[in-house]
Amino acid sequence: EPVISKGNNCLDAAKACNLNDICKKYRSAYITPCTYSVSNEICNKRKCHKALRQFFDKVPPKHSYGMLFCSCRDIACTERRRQTIVPACSYEDREKPNCLNLQETCKTNYICRSRLADFFTNCQPESRSVSNCLKENYADCLLAYSGLIGTVMTPNYLNYNNLSVAPWCDCGSSGNDIEECLKFLNFFQDNSCLKSAIQAFGNGTDVNVW
Amino acid sequence: KGRRAQRLKSRDCVLSEIHLNVTDLGLGYTTKEELIFRYCSGSCETAVTLYDQILNNLTQNKKLVSDKIRPQPCCRPIAYDDDLSFLDDDLSTYHILRKHSAKKCGCV
Repeated sequence: EPVISKGNNCLDAAKACNLNDICKKYRSAYITPCTYSVSNEICNKRKCHKALRQFFDKVPPKHSYGMLFCSCRDIACTERRRQTIVPACSYEDREKPNCLNLQETCKTNYICRSRLADFFTNCQPESRSVSNCLKENYADCLLAYSGLIGTVMTPNYLNYNNLSVAPWCDCGSSGNDIEECLKFLNFFQDNSCLKSAIQAFGNGTDVNVW
Repeated sequence: KGRRAQRLKSRDCVLSEIHLNVTDLGLGYTTKEELIFRYCSGSCETAVTLYDQILNNLTQNKKLVSDKIRPQPCCRPIAYDDDLSFLDDDLSTYHILRKHSAKKCGCV
């Protein structure tokens, strides 16, 4: 055993979840529909999304955020973190829609529309603030972000080496709206408020909130 | 007499639990995840019914001859715990265990 264990916070969070009756129950309640293949489809995405929303609604943040916002130093950890929402079912799709089109789809749904509005309000970056957030409240930003999981706007981590996230969309074929589209996409991908909030949770450094 | 009854009761069929690695279950999964395994153990002496008593009598006076008759109730799960899911060490496959752990025990 090395003296300084590298540790895998995401694995530790998964272990803690299965030792907690509520977290264990709602975790397998979404893993089941998110991995159950139905008639040529990889899964029933609607049921997977619904169960994911329930997971984040019912499970205490200590456990749900523990798995979603765990801090990582190696790929075994970041890949586990990326797999938290079962992206093969809940995130990826055959085609990547344009982000503005996806936003329109989101606005037709009551839950998605309100949660997206919460996200834009509570994760608004502000470079002059110490927290990097206009609202100076990491907990509200994390709540708004995790609230998008299980909607058509479901976001996930993009790569291994940073905390960049995005919904399943891009800004190809945006025409005249390319700037508006990039602005939307970058609010996810390059959001200093959200990144600081995730980091603070992962390191347990946000003493004001936790 | 009261103490004796208590001692008997403490051996009665109860739900117990043990903290294990998923690999300890011997089901062939490769994962570093863990679980609480709950199981039923204890005696069912105090739960003997008239049926059990009759079976006992019939085997003792040889009206029934079979080694497959069990003239006493067994301590067994009568309800199972919620499903357990975990991510394989390949970091892409999830597994789900159903009816793998007891939730409630009974003498059946």
